[in-house]
Amino acid sequence: MQFDNAMWDQTRRQFLTSSASGIGAVAFATLLQQDGLLGEDFSANPLAPKPSPLPAKAKQCIFILPAGAPSHLDLFDSKPKLRELHGEKPPASLIENVRFAFVKKETAVLAGSAREFRRHGECGMELSDFLPHLGSCADDLCLIRSMHTDAFNHHPAQLMLCSGVPRFGRPSMGSWLTYGLGSEANDLPGYVVLTAGRGSSGGVSNWSSGFFPSTYEGVVFRSEGEPVLNLNNPPGIDREIQQQGLETLSKLNRRRFDHVQDPEIASRISSYELAFRMQAAAPELIDLSDETQATLDAYGVTRKEPEKFNYRGGGPHVYRQFATNCVLARRMIERGVRFVTLVHASWDHHSNIDEELGYNAAMADQPIAALIKDLKQRGLLDSTLIVFAGEFGRTPLWENRGGNQANVVGRDHHPAAFSAFMAGGGIKGGQVYGETDEIGWSPVKDPVHVNDFHATILHLFGFDHMRFSHKFKGLEVRLTDQGGKVVQPLLA
Amino acid sequence: MRSVSPAAFAFVLIALSPLSADEATSPSADADRKVDFVADVQPILRKTCYSCHGGEEQEAGLRLDVKARALEGGDSGKSIVAGDSANSRLITLVAGLDDDTGIMPPEGEGTPLTAEQIAVLRTWIDQGAIWPDSADVASSDSKHWSFQPITHPPLPTPNDVAWVRNPIDAFVLKRLDAEGVRPSVEASRTKLMRRVYLDLLGLPPSPQELDSFLNDLSPDAYERMVEQVLSSPYYGERWGRHWLDLARYADSDGYEKDRARPHAWRYRNWVIDALNADLPYDQFSIEQIAGDMLPNATLEQKVASGFHRNTLHNTEGGADPEEDRVKKTVDRTNTVGEIWLGLTVGCAQCHSHKYDPLTQREYFQLYAFFNDINESDIDAPLPADQERIRVATAAYAAEHATLTAAVKDYEATRLAKAQAEWETTALDNAVVWQTIEPISATSKHGATLVRQDDASWLATGKNEVSDVYTIEAVVAAERVSAVRLEVLPDPSLVKEGPGRADNGNFVLTTFRVTASPTNGEKTPQTIELATAKADFSQNDWQVEKAINDEPADGWAISPEFGKRHVAVFEAKEAVGFTGGTKLTFALDQTYNRGNSHNIGRFRLSFTSGPLPATLEGLPADVANAVAKPAADRNADEQNRITEYFRSVDVELTRLNKIVSDHAKQAPAASDVKAQSVVQVSQPRPANIHIRGDFLNQGEPVIALTPAVLPDLAADESRRDRLAFANWLFAADNPLTARVTVNRVWQRIFGRGIVTTVDDFGIQGDKPSHPELLDWLASEFRQQGWSLKQLHRLIVNSATYRQSAEFRPDLAERDPYNELLARQPRRRVEAETIRDIALAASGLLDSRLGGPSVRPPQPAEYSSLTYANSAKWQVSKGGDAYRRGLYTFFQRTSPYPMLMTFDSPDSTECCTQRSLSNTPLQALTLWNDPAFYECAQAFGARVAAEVPPSGDAEQTTRERASYAFTLCLSRLPTDGELAEVIALYETQLQRTTADSEVAKQIVGKQTVPQGVSPAELAAWVIVGRTLINLDEFITRE
Repeated sequence: MQFDNAMWDQTRRQFLTSSASGIGAVAFATLLQQDGLLGEDFSANPLAPKPSPLPAKAKQCIFILPAGAPSHLDLFDSKPKLRELHGEKPPASLIENVRFAFVKKETAVLAGSAREFRRHGECGMELSDFLPHLGSCADDLCLIRSMHTDAFNHHPAQLMLCSGVPRFGRPSMGSWLTYGLGSEANDLPGYVVLTAGRGSSGGVSNWSSGFFPSTYEGVVFRSEGEPVLNLNNPPGIDREIQQQGLETLSKLNRRRFDHVQDPEIASRISSYELAFRMQAAAPELIDLSDETQATLDAYGVTRKEPEKFNYRGGGPHVYRQFATNCVLARRMIERGVRFVTLVHASWDHHSNIDEELGYNAAMADQPIAALIKDLKQRGLLDSTLIVFAGEFGRTPLWENRGGNQANVVGRDHHPAAFSAFMAGGGIKGGQVYGETDEIGWSPVKDPVHVNDFHATILHLFGFDHMRFSHKFKGLEVRLTDQGGKVVQPLLA
Repeated sequence: MRSVSPAAFAFVLIALSPLSADEATSPSADADRKVDFVADVQPILRKTCYSCHGGEEQEAGLRLDVKARALEGGDSGKSIVAGDSANSRLITLVAGLDDDTGIMPPEGEGTPLTAEQIAVLRTWIDQGAIWPDSADVASSDSKHWSFQPITHPPLPTPNDVAWVRNPIDAFVLKRLDAEGVRPSVEASRTKLMRRVYLDLLGLPPSPQELDSFLNDLSPDAYERMVEQVLSSPYYGERWGRHWLDLARYADSDGYEKDRARPHAWRYRNWVIDALNADLPYDQFSIEQIAGDMLPNATLEQKVASGFHRNTLHNTEGGADPEEDRVKKTVDRTNTVGEIWLGLTVGCAQCHSHKYDPLTQREYFQLYAFFNDINESDIDAPLPADQERIRVATAAYAAEHATLTAAVKDYEATRLAKAQAEWETTALDNAVVWQTIEPISATSKHGATLVRQDDASWLATGKNEVSDVYTIEAVVAAERVSAVRLEVLPDPSLVKEGPGRADNGNFVLTTFRVTASPTNGEKTPQTIELATAKADFSQNDWQVEKAINDEPADGWAISPEFGKRHVAVFEAKEAVGFTGGTKLTFALDQTYNRGNSHNIGRFRLSFTSGPLPATLEGLPADVANAVAKPAADRNADEQNRITEYFRSVDVELTRLNKIVSDHAKQAPAASDVKAQSVVQVSQPRPANIHIRGDFLNQGEPVIALTPAVLPDLAADESRRDRLAFANWLFAADNPLTARVTVNRVWQRIFGRGIVTTVDDFGIQGDKPSHPELLDWLASEFRQQGWSLKQLHRLIVNSATYRQSAEFRPDLAERDPYNELLARQPRRRVEAETIRDIALAASGLLDSRLGGPSVRPPQPAEYSSLTYANSAKWQVSKGGDAYRRGLYTFFQRTSPYPMLMTFDSPDSTECCTQRSLSNTPLQALTLWNDPAFYECAQAFGARVAAEVPPSGDAEQTTRERASYAFTLCLSRLPTDGELAEVIALYETQLQRTTADSEVAKQIVGKQTVPQGVSPAELAAWVIVGRTLINLDEFITRE
């Protein structure tokens, strides 16, 4: 029997008639169970932690999504040859059957990177001068230079990266993992999303639960103000009034339960109790006053933001937001959240790549490196998988939208090759996997398709991606769709 | 860019070698012998091919055990070409002749065929591939239950006939008899009423409706209540929302840009109206699938076909429109397949369905029906507006005709005379502009000024931040009274100019002219310019600023780019010299803020005529023509005069203006539009898309229905979308009626008779009550496809009226209620939760239909969309309190409350919503400002509608009881009442002691007369608790 079918049967009732509640332990519902009022097989909490079907190194995941697609050529994949050929026409054979969003083939020229690449760590990983802090983590990073994807426009490609197919309606990675493993977090959602700056092309579909119930959907946390939508009580309703209301509510629900014996009511009671706990836990989570100044400095929470910028990156304070989100990600991992997604959306550098990518890289580099080091120092990195991946790469060609060469280098969409990195969670650090050709056009060694990437992630979490499936509309649906193979050399 | 690797090449050679040897030694040795299919061929196929291309699996869509399917071929085309083994893919593959496709069976799936076996297959094909019918295996697919004709089963006779209210009950009870299970008792009348209201209207009964039903003691009180409900307009909203789930309705495009669809709601209106009118389901369907193709299609039928416009639409930069069109066509095919056939045809888009009897070829044959769609937005006034507009338009047209007639009359009777009069004085006092032909035109900062054929000058090359053009010319005139500058559009300029700035603008900071005699005897003197006027000046950049000697300002023309503009400068005193005048112009453009603002193309002219000088003056050609005696003019000249005169004749201009002013008052043709579709004029050929990739086109296909279903009875030329829609309702179509009644059943009972409501294929579940399903389906057809009749039948049954109370005997035995021995409890849908909270609190604005509305939502929420593209302008007044189905559905940031309660994301057809139960739902009902506002209004309603009785305790009891009834449509038990009162009393103590808390809780809510803020606050807290009850959001 397939894994999901086993689980499906176990919780079938919750899904078919209605699904049971959310997060963490159960109080009133547990009581009902102890009273023998609920059947043995009734679990009021679909997010109760479950063991993985296979041994697993990774228990939790932080998925960093630089939406818009960062340039592999200017961050991760040094191409001296491309620099040599800067300004020259590409061979016609290279581009004749390729689709571009904006590049006009007739006048296209190659564009070398203006970046300097340096070697880092014992492994000697080459990274761009935009990433000095990540360089200091090189021996923990596994850099994949041979990623490729099927989709060509932002939204479909983000769906591909987040849910395995370039279409709507499928559960995202975090949904699959919380569906399969539940969550260890008692007072918080199992799957949390933190955003900085403006919205991404994919919007909420990037953390959708697809055909799973909304129990498994990413819950958006805000780093300031009310951390979760509707978390705060309305004006005048203090915690005491809330608690008294909740007690009456539970009693009335309990009376109804006694009458109709519907386990759904028990789930509802437990949902309310968990919500009540979350109202206390979530503000505590985002309150950074118990973090040391040294920690905040390390993440760059309080660092100075570049003063003059046109805020393509999504308004001022995005540096602080992103850094804060990295700290929050660690705090969530500590509290047992299964899957944290960090989104920052403005890596779509069709023009002015040196200035704008530089701005973004400086925003992301220090906090992500600090996060890796912090988790490592707290002994959490071994069980926490960190993933950094955009939806595709960028062309080795200089964008010439409408046939006009821009004054400064920009790059177009490029699904044929991109780079991504992972760390922790059973990943073998200090290695570069895969290679692209000498201009970074397409992988020439060890290509890793997005489905392979997902297969490997599922493997780290103790799932055989071929067996971790769910029947929907007549099809056994997998995160890896029709493909995927585990990339063994990535594993520690 | 495939290359043949050495390894693969070697492999081909090895595979080939035995065959080559065989062919060399005995090229036609076997060809003489008649190969027998049963004895020689079938055993080979069975042994080596059937495991992947047989009844269990059909890899690549190829099935070799059934004659018809084998001869038809697979996804890549025909595999057996009778009489031509050399062109038969089967041979190519088993012999491994093509290194691209490799060899069959593939490594690990079986042993390669021997040369003898290949020769047998080859010969069999060359001899005509004779496959006796006696050796054909009938496809088991066609025996699947759902593809069999719908029967009208006789009614069974269960034991307890008295329980049976209608035939549904006979089928249900018969099954219960067989299982030895008794049905549940009938639910209480209050429960029944709330159930019927929630199921059919999605709203609770009002206290008055509840009262009148409970007081109606006649035996058919229930049936009459049902009739009343079925005639309510809210029915169309409730069942319309169900339909919108299937139709993947949304108010925006989806994808990155996710643009709003301001007219999408027009289709939603059609759905609501059609359901309220009980438009028969066949018409309801045909109009949506092919309403645009119906003979003399009405506007409403065209609106209905907007069903196809609910697909996603990608406008992301760089997206390929053809790819998007193909995706939409795929979605249309899948959606129609799912809604009407109950088949998940979509899987076959990429590969043949592993289990379902639909090959990839058949998928694209279905797809071909929908490949004819072109999108079209049409004017679509609402039915109620159409008559009003018709009347107004007729009145307007009559008035307009009178005014036009006046023009015609003037032209016919008086215009010629007026022109003749004008000609006699036209040349007196005429301003005639003479184009200046410069000697030189130079730029201070290196721009190149190039003369154009029309004597204008085009600036090219350098475009410095500020430039000064100097133009020198000699004119024969001895008097110059005004000069004119025309700035002209040109395709070489940004936005066609006329300026060279990056938006097409320019700034003429100073315009100067000097004059001197041509003999050079006198130093040039500056002509003092007294006035400046232009046809257009940018706000704050009036043309007068070009002669004010202030370099910081000047004349500019934003936003009127890409057009000719004219400026006229009059001299304070006319200047001129005997024998001709030398003119030097300086066009100073020293505007140095931002980028270059130089003029791109210009022309200069002057006049010697009287002032004031008009912008256009009397054109020189007209002046010349008028100067000639009429008899000497040629036809062109005469026409030119007439044409010019028409443009300046005061009376004609006046009359024309009356006409054009009146035209502006034409009754708006209603600004309501609808998204619709039209059939493409030239048929679009359809092909198989190999592996679902639209760039990888396989064989061409024609529009055909799947082989396991009855054929489309239409001639070849009419195999179109409309024929397909009619085919769905053909008497022998086994699916449409079954699928539809099952889905209606599922909406009401929470579970279909076939639980896989979207999958009636081989993979789907079997019906729990097959006879009941068929009886309902045939009844549905016989009753003229009336949905209301189907609802009437179901809700009047004893099966429906059963209680939802706990049945200990069934808890283990029938946990999913397959036997239908009780009613299920089920949380209501997202929109209904909103609706019942608004209804209970009295806030609901129950207007029907209209554009989508934007109730308040957290401001940050829409910032999750791409580049903050979805602006959420909160609706005002009653629009903030409309039913949930009217909430604007922005695909990339849907209204959070809806999503928290499992609304579909509207990206594809949704036949069944999931029903989750999460803490976020608890937080929403508790704290979402919309629900809290309901609690506040609810508190006030309870306090206002139950006046104080004098006895405070009694008042509290009555109010508590009323509050409970408003929410749950039933009276509380004593225990429940005690809990509510206890909560009220505790809160009242608190709000009385702390007036600040009371004030905050009451918020903007008006405190009813005779009630203290503290009391109201306590009722608000009670209301907030009651609308959070499980029972409140549950249909029992």
